[in-house]
Amino acid sequence: MDMELTTMKTHSITSILLLFSVLFTTGCDRCREVPCDTADCSPAATPFELEIPPFFPPMDIPEDNPLTVEGIELGRLLFWEKQLSADGSMSCGSCHLPESSFSDPNPYSTGITGATGIRNAMAIINIGWAPSFFWDGRALTLEEQILEPVEHPDEMALEWTQAVARLQATESAAQSDVNYPDRFEVAFGDRNITAEGVTKAIAQFLRTMVSADSKFDQWRRGETVLTDDEFAGYEIFLREGGDPETTPGGQFGGDCFHCHSEAGLQFSDYLFRNNGLDSTFTADAGHAIVSGNPLDSGRFKTPTLRNIALTGPYMHDGRFQSLEEVIDHYNSGGVPSATIDPFMKYTTGGLALSPVQKSQLIAFLHTLTDTSFVQNPHFQDPH
Amino acid sequence: MKSFCNQILIICSIALLGCVPWDADDLDPVPGSLRMQVALEWNDEPYAVGDVAEDHLGHPVRIDNLQCYIAPIEFREKDGEWITIDDVYLIDFSEHNPTIVAALPAGSYDAFRMGLGIPPEINTDIDPASYPNDHPLSVLGSAGMFWTWASGYIFVKYEGKFALESGSQLIEPLSYHCGTDESYRTVLFEWDEPLAIESHEATASILTLDAAKALIGVDESIDIALNPVTHNASGDSLGSVMMNLLDDAWTWNLLP
Repeated sequence: MDMELTTMKTHSITSILLLFSVLFTTGCDRCREVPCDTADCSPAATPFELEIPPFFPPMDIPEDNPLTVEGIELGRLLFWEKQLSADGSMSCGSCHLPESSFSDPNPYSTGITGATGIRNAMAIINIGWAPSFFWDGRALTLEEQILEPVEHPDEMALEWTQAVARLQATESAAQSDVNYPDRFEVAFGDRNITAEGVTKAIAQFLRTMVSADSKFDQWRRGETVLTDDEFAGYEIFLREGGDPETTPGGQFGGDCFHCHSEAGLQFSDYLFRNNGLDSTFTADAGHAIVSGNPLDSGRFKTPTLRNIALTGPYMHDGRFQSLEEVIDHYNSGGVPSATIDPFMKYTTGGLALSPVQKSQLIAFLHTLTDTSFVQNPHFQDPH
Repeated sequence: MKSFCNQILIICSIALLGCVPWDADDLDPVPGSLRMQVALEWNDEPYAVGDVAEDHLGHPVRIDNLQCYIAPIEFREKDGEWITIDDVYLIDFSEHNPTIVAALPAGSYDAFRMGLGIPPEINTDIDPASYPNDHPLSVLGSAGMFWTWASGYIFVKYEGKFALESGSQLIEPLSYHCGTDESYRTVLFEWDEPLAIESHEATASILTLDAAKALIGVDESIDIALNPVTHNASGDSLGSVMMNLLDDAWTWNLLP
């Protein structure tokens, strides 16, 4: 009897322990959450907290690619790494020059074969807030965007398998200034380099390229004053365009703010628009190539106006050399077409800005120049 | 043996209570869900952004962009209390089948209302940058629907092209941007037969905007040839006219 009782008790305790184990290992999602504070759980990476400037919106950082000190530094090395081009002559930075606010001063960039692209290289500035990339918006994440130029035959022309092999080989290559497997191990906890890892690191670096110290930013923070011309230009920027006698709702303004929205100090709404450059779009259909919608023909992403004085030539094809030419285009009202944006004043004689107003508007645009951004030592070539 | 069973029961109870987040709301009746599909018509016929139609004066018209804020979205219980299912929703009629899905407590409802636009208390005094990016009033969520940081949101954006005569190319722009606190409207539907929401059950409905009726109503109308643009600036009554017309341009129906 005692024996039976002991056996039953043992069964009882065993069952209870078993039940507990089952309940607590399978029944509760909350209990399974394990905090991971570093990139891909790499024990060595140091979390990096990006400072969001005043008046800016939060930046969405992908959960699978959190910023780390080591990841950002690795991204910077890779952004300037010429081994990512087939002949070792070009890096990402070759077409995104610091003095041009990380854009190309040529209308089209020239790749390693001498071939040129069909669109102007976009400026890299505050792109951590952008919801899409390229002039036509064909990439929806930075990581996705970064994949393309390395393999593109008119750009760096190197297959990713070869690019990764080259980086992996730096472990034993005496001529390389960087041991990339070591860097990847620290940043991501894995010495095996992948294209995904490269794009993640570069994306981390690009997300830190924040410009928020232009004269306009300083003015918004109450640290300086705008000149009379600059302020007048700002008012023109904010007013509806056109002569009210001929344009319904016109306020003799520049009508800039609709697309280059000041919200969150982005100076872009990141939408796709046809700003009246052409009447047909056989050469480049823009966003329609991505969406397949004919209504998107001739529509391109609105670029930010930040550092606009440094990022010429202008438009998706770099057709305008100066800000004066750009303002003249908008002042003309643009070329009518089936998809021209209704903000363009092509039926009512354009914006009707006077020469003085145009110069004031340009004075305002210069207040968006942030030289501390383009000269930031953390963004320059480390090789 | 009895004792063993009791032990198991107690342990099960402890384990379950310990694992499920305890919340007083758990005691409330389980809600039902409401799916509200949003649709577009032109003179009572199905219409899609990009289609060419004819307005009440015979102008060929093509709407290229039609977006509007509705805030809040509420249902009235039989005791008169309004239940909010969403504070702010941005309808983009360019999207395929925009649908509002929300939990609604089980019960009986006799009215539905929605604010057309953004209520004054959140229209101008809150910086869009203060919202998370997936909020419809955030910088990214309100892209193209925000005037400036000082003057609030565009409530309704009704843009496209038209022709002065039938058979001509649609090249004339129309651009109606309505906003300002004074333009905020409330669309109300009251029902004789109450809407019953059952626990665990999904109820489907359809909210339809007739875009043609945004241009013509019983007492007012808009001639797009004469008045193709409004920014709802002070002294410009066209935006208010359109908001009045839009107020009557919606229908709401249950779906089988």
